[in-house]
Amino acid sequence: MSQLMGVSPLLLLVAAGLAIMLVDGFTKERAELASVTAVSLFVAAALAGTMLASGNVAPAPDVITRYLAVDQLALFFDVVICVGAGLSVLLAGGYLREHGFERGEFYVLILFTAFGAMVLARAVDLLSIFLGLETMSLGAYALVAYRRTSARAVEGAVKYFLLGSFAAAILLFGSALLYGATGHTDLAGIGQVVAAGQADATLTVLALVMLIVGLAFKLGAVPFHMWVPDAYEGAVTPVTTFMSVGIKAAAVAVLLRVLVGAFGDPASMGLYTGWTPVIMLLAVITMVYGNLAALAQTSVKRMLAYSSVAHAGYILVGLAAVHEVGSFAVSSVLYYIAAYTFSNVLAFGSLILMGSKGKEAVSYDDLAGAGRRHPVAAFPFVIGVLSLLGMPPTAGFFGKYYVFSAAVQAGGPMIWVAVIGVLASAVGAYYYLKVIVYLFMREPEEDQPIAVPMRSMYVTVTLVLAGYYVVKMGITPSRYLDWAVSAASSLVG
Amino acid sequence: MGIGTYLALASVLFGVGAAGFLARRNMLIQLMSIELMLNSVNVLLLAFNRVNPSNHDGQVFAFFVIAVAAAEAALGLAILIAYYRVTKTLNTDDATLLKY
Repeated sequence: MSQLMGVSPLLLLVAAGLAIMLVDGFTKERAELASVTAVSLFVAAALAGTMLASGNVAPAPDVITRYLAVDQLALFFDVVICVGAGLSVLLAGGYLREHGFERGEFYVLILFTAFGAMVLARAVDLLSIFLGLETMSLGAYALVAYRRTSARAVEGAVKYFLLGSFAAAILLFGSALLYGATGHTDLAGIGQVVAAGQADATLTVLALVMLIVGLAFKLGAVPFHMWVPDAYEGAVTPVTTFMSVGIKAAAVAVLLRVLVGAFGDPASMGLYTGWTPVIMLLAVITMVYGNLAALAQTSVKRMLAYSSVAHAGYILVGLAAVHEVGSFAVSSVLYYIAAYTFSNVLAFGSLILMGSKGKEAVSYDDLAGAGRRHPVAAFPFVIGVLSLLGMPPTAGFFGKYYVFSAAVQAGGPMIWVAVIGVLASAVGAYYYLKVIVYLFMREPEEDQPIAVPMRSMYVTVTLVLAGYYVVKMGITPSRYLDWAVSAASSLVG
Repeated sequence: MGIGTYLALASVLFGVGAAGFLARRNMLIQLMSIELMLNSVNVLLLAFNRVNPSNHDGQVFAFFVIAVAAAEAALGLAILIAYYRVTKTLNTDDATLLKY
C-alpha cells in the first residue's frame, strides 16, 4: 500500500470522479457536488504538498515508474494542477448555479481532465505522454462544449477539437519517429541513445520538431495559438480558468521532461545547437504577438486569453535559459507557473464575480463604473491584473523577475530575449490597467447594463484564497522558490 | 522490404491526411483526415517494431493509438453534432462567430 503513496493524488482523483459519477446518477436534487469535488482536489494537493515539503518520496514499484515518474517535480505539478482545478471548481460552484446550468457531469469531467493533466506532467514514456495528453484533451474538449446550446461554446469546441486532434496527430507521428530513431519509448532510454550519438540524426531532428509543435500547441505558444482565444471565449468562464492554469501547467511539465530530460544533455548542446534557438524564437514571437493582440481586444475574457498566450512566452524564456543556468532556470519556470496559476484564477474569478444572472460581464464596457459602485467586489480584480502585469508586491512580479534574471544570467542573445520580454510586458500595462480604468474611472453609457456582482460563498472563498497566495508569494517568495528548486533538482542535478 | 518502404508509405498517408485536413472545408472530412494521420502512425510503429524486435513496445503503442483514436472520434462526432444542431452547417468557413 505504501508503494502507491507516490501516485496517491492520482488515485484519489479517479476514485472521487467515479464516486461523483455514481452519486450524480442516483440522486434527483443537486447535491453539493462543487464542494465535494473541490475538497477531493485540495486533499490531493495536500497529499502531494506534504510529500514535497518533507522531501522524501516513497519509492514506487518499477511497473509504475517506467511510465509515470514519482519525483519532486511530479509532486510540484500535482500541487499546481490540483490547486488550479480546485479553485476553478469552486468558481464553477458559484457561476454555474448563478447562471442556471449546473449539471453533475461538469465536476466529473474536470476531475478526469485534471487527472489527465497530472498523468501528462509525470509522464516519462512516449506512451504515457500520449495517453495523458489525450485524457486531458478529450476532457477539455467536452468541457468547452459543456454549454451545448450556445453557438459560441460549440464553435469554440469545434475549433479546439479539430486543431487539437491535428496537433496530437503531429505529436504522435513525432513520437513514432523518435521510437524508430532510438529503439526506445522511455525518455531516459531515448536520452542515452541521443547523448551517445547513436540515433539517426535526421529522424531525431524531425521527431523533435514534431514533438515541439505538438506541445507548443497545448501550451498555446505562437504560431500554434489560433485555438486559444476562441476556445477560451467560447467556454464557460470556470472552464477557461482551468484551461489557462491546469492544461498550461501540464504542457510546461511535459516540455521540461522531454526537452531537458531526454534532449537536455548540456555537454552535447551549445547555444546554436539543440532546441534552444527554436524555443528562444518561439518565446520572442509569443511574447510580442500575445501582448500586441491583447491590446486590440474589446472583450476582457478574450484579452485574458491573449494575455495567457503572452505568459506562455515568458515561461518559454525560462525554458530557453536552461542550457546555461540549468537548475535556476527550471525553478524560475516552476515558480512562474505557480504564481501565474493564482494570478489568473484571481483575474478570471473577479470577472465571474462581476456578473450576475442574465448579466454576464464580458467586455470592458460591461465593467464601466462597476468598481466605483462595488469597490469591495472590484478589489480582487485590481490585485489580479496587477499580478499578471508583474507589479510588486505580487506573485507575478517575482515570477517575471526570476524568469528574466535566469535569461540575463544565461548571457549572450538571451539578454536580448529578456529585453524584448520586459518591453513586451510593458505593453501589457496598457490593457491590464485599462481594466482598472474602466472599473473606477469610466461611467457606463445610459442604456448599457451595469455589471452587478453576484453573491456566492464559493466565489468569495476562491478569491480570498487566490488573493492571499498572490500577495503571500509576492512578499515571501523564498519559501515557494525553495520548493521550486527542490522540484527542479529531480530534473537537473 | 526494408524499413524505407514502410517509412515512405507512412509519410504518404500522413501527408494525405494533413493535406486533407488543411485543404478541405467540411468538418467531417477533416475528422476523417485526422483518423488517416493516426493510422499512418500505426504503420510506422509496427514497422519500427520489426527493426527493434527485442520487445513489443511499438505494437503495444499501436493498440493504444487505435483505442484512443476511437474515443477521440466518438467525442469529435458528438461535438460536431452539437455544432450542427446549433448552426445547421459543418463548413469551417461559416465558423466565424468568434474572432477579433
